Amino acid sequence: MLCKAQGITKRYGPSTVLEAASFTIHEGEVLGLIGPNGAGKTTLFECLAGLLPTDGGTVEFRGAPLPASRRKQALFYLPDGIRPWADQPVHWVLAFFEALYGRPPGEGAALAAAITRDLKLEPLLRSRIGSLSKGEAKRVLLALGLLTPQPLLLLDEPFDGLDFRQTRDVMALLRTVPARGRTLFVSIHQLVDAARMCDRLVLLSRGRVVGVGTLPELRSLAGLAGVDGAGLEEVFLALT
Amino acid sequence: MPSRRFRWLAAKEFRELMASRAFWLLLLMIGPLVGHGFITAVDTYAEASGIAGGPAALGQGLSPLDGILVPTFGAYDLAVTLLFPFVAIRLVAAEKASGAWKLLLQSPASPGAMLLAKGLTLLAGWLVAWLPGLAALVLWKLYGGTLYQPEVLNLLLGHLLRVVLAAGLAVAAGAIANGAASAAIATLGFTVGTWALEFIAAGRGGALQKLASYTPTAALRVFEQGELRLATVLVTVAIGLAGFALAAVWLHPGRTIRYRLIAGAAILLLLTLTGAAASRLRSARDLSENRRNSFSAADESALARIRQPLRVTVFLSPEDPRLMDLDRNILAKLARILPEVEIVHAAHSRTGLFEAGGDRYGEVWYQLAGRKSMTRSTTEPIVLDNLYQLARVPPPVRRESEFPGHPLPATPSGAAVLYYAIWPLAIAIAGWLHLRNWS
Repeated sequence: MLCKAQGITKRYGPSTVLEAASFTIHEGEVLGLIGPNGAGKTTLFECLAGLLPTDGGTVEFRGAPLPASRRKQALFYLPDGIRPWADQPVHWVLAFFEALYGRPPGEGAALAAAITRDLKLEPLLRSRIGSLSKGEAKRVLLALGLLTPQPLLLLDEPFDGLDFRQTRDVMALLRTVPARGRTLFVSIHQLVDAARMCDRLVLLSRGRVVGVGTLPELRSLAGLAGVDGAGLEEVFLALT
Repeated sequence: MPSRRFRWLAAKEFRELMASRAFWLLLLMIGPLVGHGFITAVDTYAEASGIAGGPAALGQGLSPLDGILVPTFGAYDLAVTLLFPFVAIRLVAAEKASGAWKLLLQSPASPGAMLLAKGLTLLAGWLVAWLPGLAALVLWKLYGGTLYQPEVLNLLLGHLLRVVLAAGLAVAAGAIANGAASAAIATLGFTVGTWALEFIAAGRGGALQKLASYTPTAALRVFEQGELRLATVLVTVAIGLAGFALAAVWLHPGRTIRYRLIAGAAILLLLTLTGAAASRLRSARDLSENRRNSFSAADESALARIRQPLRVTVFLSPEDPRLMDLDRNILAKLARILPEVEIVHAAHSRTGLFEAGGDRYGEVWYQLAGRKSMTRSTTEPIVLDNLYQLARVPPPVRRESEFPGHPLPATPSGAAVLYYAIWPLAIAIAGWLHLRNWS
């Protein structure tokens, strides 16, 4: 087990956005976070990353408690919908991010070059971040996330803004990430994409974790084990 | 040698500064502002020096510090109040709004290092904005003017500290407020608040006046008078640093509001204690060429023999100009040179117009070693002779001021072209070339 979240709770005034969310993340897997809009997916990620104070709960990493102040040593969270350093060109932002993590110059540059190639960013390198389309900006953000060295990478809606072909390519790329020694925890809006991409799934509804496991395990949990063709959508509807 | 990571952070801040339209606007406007101050000052100085056959002022009254330096660099006070906060706020608020800050907080760089990079970048940007002011010094020398190095450096230090203070406040506002507009309003609100404080506290004495002596304008005024006061330096730096510390606490969204409030209160408490401790420091150097902040050398040597505490009771109202004379010409100088001076403001009204005869209005009582004497004078030799008599110290033999004054009937040739044409044009072209790829 790589990481264990236990009883993560977050309230805004009287409303509870996350209610004792508990699950585990296994080393080298791609774990999906599934839930409708407003389920608390982004809040859960920000709580895990230590970017939002929680009202309860703990996080363990490789069996040891991991307080919020040390989360950045173990995990990196890539938010959705951000547009950092809009006035700077893509190549500079990539170089800056790589330098920030202090890899040896040659090694960092080689990694950045590989990620640039994999995400097909070459034509965008001289463009300002602010001038990119939504899909282009998303690919640049993914590159930033892949440049970080933390063992656990949290991606919020990595396919949002990408077209079908780009989604397929990025999905294929992300599937190779565990082989390079990192674990992915990914929130995905499209259930079809989630079913294709993830090894296991965390189902979140109204701030509560309603199921954790592989698709067959979730089918069993939902009482749909014997139902032919029961997909993630049917499972989710049955559990919520 | 800064680490590679810090160099990249500083480079990022510098690139962000150069991408800021507010910064280019500041550069564009600072040239004509400084130029106007300089050209007007040189003209006025020349008139006072008797240009074109007009009557000349007494040479001793003509000091380049008052006549040229203060009005020229006064443009920077205006710019640091009304333009610079927007540049500083953008450097923080833009990263908050764009989500960049969330990425940075997860990197190995500490928030302290990130804010240090911002602070150093703002200082570097401000030094670029100093070019028109420094050019004015060169022009003044070319006209044949005199510059007294200690007072020039002291004035520059005052303006540098002024920008440290402004940067701290703006960065704190940018961190705490929800957006750049709110932060700008908060910063300008603070400035207006300090003006109100100075107005209310004028001549009142006590804690309020003490507090008002550390407002940005009042602190700068100390340097403009050619005085280097340790307390002013420490309090100004402390306010600036407190602003950056507040920003470091407040910018981390992972901290609870309770934590941020407690940490913020602790920083403000520390600042208050530092300010209170610093305000008790009496160390000061008079760096003005005409020694306007000091008694004559003969008087200082005689006063140094007085070791007993002095109590001064002043029956002058806050708005009475005689109180300002007494404060500036006598009491401030005495407070620096005597080991212990207690000043009591005993007038009952604000203006003194309606004080009854029995209220002793206009009297100033000096009490030393159990003896008391009164004088209504605010003239330096009379007051000092009165003190010597009380202290039983023989009065010294005084000589005329050794400051000759520096009259110069010069015309500001070339300045208008430099400040109103060359500088704006150069900045406009540089800004356009730099920003055209980013528009």
